[in-house]
Amino acid sequence: MQHDYIHIILADDDEDDRLFFVDAFEELKINTKVKTLNDGVELINYLNQDDVQLPNVLFLDLNMPRKNGLECLQEIKANSKFDDIAIAIYSTSASEDDIENTFVQGANIYIKKPDDFGTLKKILSEVVTINWQYHTNGLNKDNFLLRM
Amino acid sequence: MPKIRIKKFPVIIRILFAIAVIIMVFIASITFKHIGDLSDSYDLVTNTYKVNLELEQIISHLKDAETGNRGYTITKDSIYLTPFIQAREKVNNSFVILKKLTKENEVQQKNLKQLYLYINKRFVNFSKTQLMVERNQIRNKAFFDTFKEGKVCMDEIRTQVNKMIAIENKLLVERENINNNYIKTTPNFIYLLLIFTLGLIAMAYYKVNTDFNKIKHKNNQLSIFQELSSQAEIVSKSGSWFRDLETQNYHFSDNLYRLLGEEPQSFEATNENFMNYIHPEDVEFVRGEGDRMRESNRLDDLQYRLITKQGEVKYVRAFGRVMQDSSGNEKFIGTITDITVEHESFHSLEEKNQELERNNKELSAFNYVASHDLQEPLRKIQTFISRLEDKEQEHFSDTGKQYFERIKSAASRMRLLIDDLLQFSRTNKAEKVFEVSNLNDLLENAKQDVAEIINEKKAEITSDVLPTLEVIPFQMQQLFLNLIGNSLKYSKKTEIPVIKITYQKVKATDEKELNTNSRDQFHKITFIDNGIGFEQEYAERIFTLFSRLHEKDEYSGTGIGLSICKKIIENHKGYIFALGKPNVGAVFTIYLPIQV
Repeated sequence: MQHDYIHIILADDDEDDRLFFVDAFEELKINTKVKTLNDGVELINYLNQDDVQLPNVLFLDLNMPRKNGLECLQEIKANSKFDDIAIAIYSTSASEDDIENTFVQGANIYIKKPDDFGTLKKILSEVVTINWQYHTNGLNKDNFLLRM
Repeated sequence: MPKIRIKKFPVIIRILFAIAVIIMVFIASITFKHIGDLSDSYDLVTNTYKVNLELEQIISHLKDAETGNRGYTITKDSIYLTPFIQAREKVNNSFVILKKLTKENEVQQKNLKQLYLYINKRFVNFSKTQLMVERNQIRNKAFFDTFKEGKVCMDEIRTQVNKMIAIENKLLVERENINNNYIKTTPNFIYLLLIFTLGLIAMAYYKVNTDFNKIKHKNNQLSIFQELSSQAEIVSKSGSWFRDLETQNYHFSDNLYRLLGEEPQSFEATNENFMNYIHPEDVEFVRGEGDRMRESNRLDDLQYRLITKQGEVKYVRAFGRVMQDSSGNEKFIGTITDITVEHESFHSLEEKNQELERNNKELSAFNYVASHDLQEPLRKIQTFISRLEDKEQEHFSDTGKQYFERIKSAASRMRLLIDDLLQFSRTNKAEKVFEVSNLNDLLENAKQDVAEIINEKKAEITSDVLPTLEVIPFQMQQLFLNLIGNSLKYSKKTEIPVIKITYQKVKATDEKELNTNSRDQFHKITFIDNGIGFEQEYAERIFTLFSRLHEKDEYSGTGIGLSICKKIIENHKGYIFALGKPNVGAVFTIYLPIQV
């Protein structure tokens, strides 16, 4: 049964980060299907395939070669086919500009990559269990950046 | 420079002179007329006397004729007739003269005619008597009648003559009266006019004299001014020139020649001669601007280069305007200033600015490196450390565990440093959005951020009610956080940390530390703790970047926190001071200006 799984995609060009990400979900024991893609171009190509399983939550790194996270965000938000995807920005930096830009472009949450695996697990488990409907209604610039 | 205007020959003097001339012409004409009148009246008087004389003559001649006639009547001797005949001629002559003399007086002409008739009648009578004598018809009634008739006629003549003389005399009196009046009033009038004219001329003279003195004074001032301006030109390294727009002649000031490295007035002042000194690369440009200048008659801040006789390159700035002098002649007046020094210092300033801009760019690039590129490997190191800690720790030997702990603490310290550095550079950045904020709220938030440590150390924090001010909220909160954090960090291990925050409004002059005489008022907020304190000699050093007073192991810290505090206070145009006593505590005082 497909619906028992939470479908998750991570687009990140950093191999270590992809590894931490996948490991964290493995240890979390939540029913998730995690797919990782290496950059923005791969992500968009994947999403535009016919009969593709669209993710419930998309984790998007900002600083990627070929097509960066902000460009991906704009393309996804421009296409109503992807309206149901919750988008979590997943970035090393938490600069005011990045937060502002992605918030304006319609991302749902902003995660600063933590420097501790335990924290990472905590964050990911929280994010995939968020009631997005509820979260999006009360979204503002202050609670957009996830603080742990 | 104000437009120079010399007043035209004053209108008032022109008017005074014109009036004087008119009056004098008037006086001259009156005098001329008066003399003419006098001579006329003299003629008239003479005329009257002549008329009277001739009339008397006629009477006299008639008497002569009568006497002759009588003699002839008595003696019948024709010798008596001679005077009678002469009298007849003389009477006729007198008549002709009288006719001439009275030709302008109709009444007298009439009277004269009448007289002539009487005289004729008399002579007819004479002839009658003489005829009677010749015929010897005397001594009869007819003769006596005739004789008597002659006497009557003679009486009539006398009456007529007297009448005429009376008329003439009357005329004479009338004329004398008129003349007398005239002679009396005219000189008075002329005299008055003359005095008036003299007054006018005196006034004009006074005016001319004062104007002349003024001009003399102005001339003196002008020569002083000329000397000053030539001195000023030397001091300000500038020269001046002008071109007469009518004659197209140029004049260059002495210092203009000196600017060109030439002796003053050593060559003819012409446009072409000047162009020889312009830098070859600028010649075309200056020529174009010169043409424009001649069309528009103005020259606004033209900059170009000159090459002096000695081959030195000078940067100059030119400026010019049209001036109209008092005679309405237009001159184009221009100045040229040597701005080589300014140009060079401006140039070096510009270079320094560019360098500064480059440095700033590099700094913000460094900021990005610090915020992103440095963080990323560190984050991974720390994540891998946490992975090792979770999964592999039991496989380490004791030494391995020790080394592992060292690696962990070094990585944490690196994280702390990077975070603090980022904080510091963010404080430096331009985003300074001032908002009206309640400082009590900001303090509360700051306390919340360190709530864990406060609980852990059981610290007591008391504070006065703080004001609501226009500040950069997140920076002010950072300031409170850093100061409280600092007190907590450097607290005594044996004592519960007590932090007292006080607030009051103060005058700048009352605060020794501010060391100012200005009347500004300040919000003074003081953080007093009972921590380990510090030697007062370090009070300034603790605010400099990376300066630490303690061993790293003893108290953690990057030496950035107080630098951030100082930066924040500077962003708010305030002051921060530290007061310390070892083992007693530290006092941090901040002053924020009260905006009026």
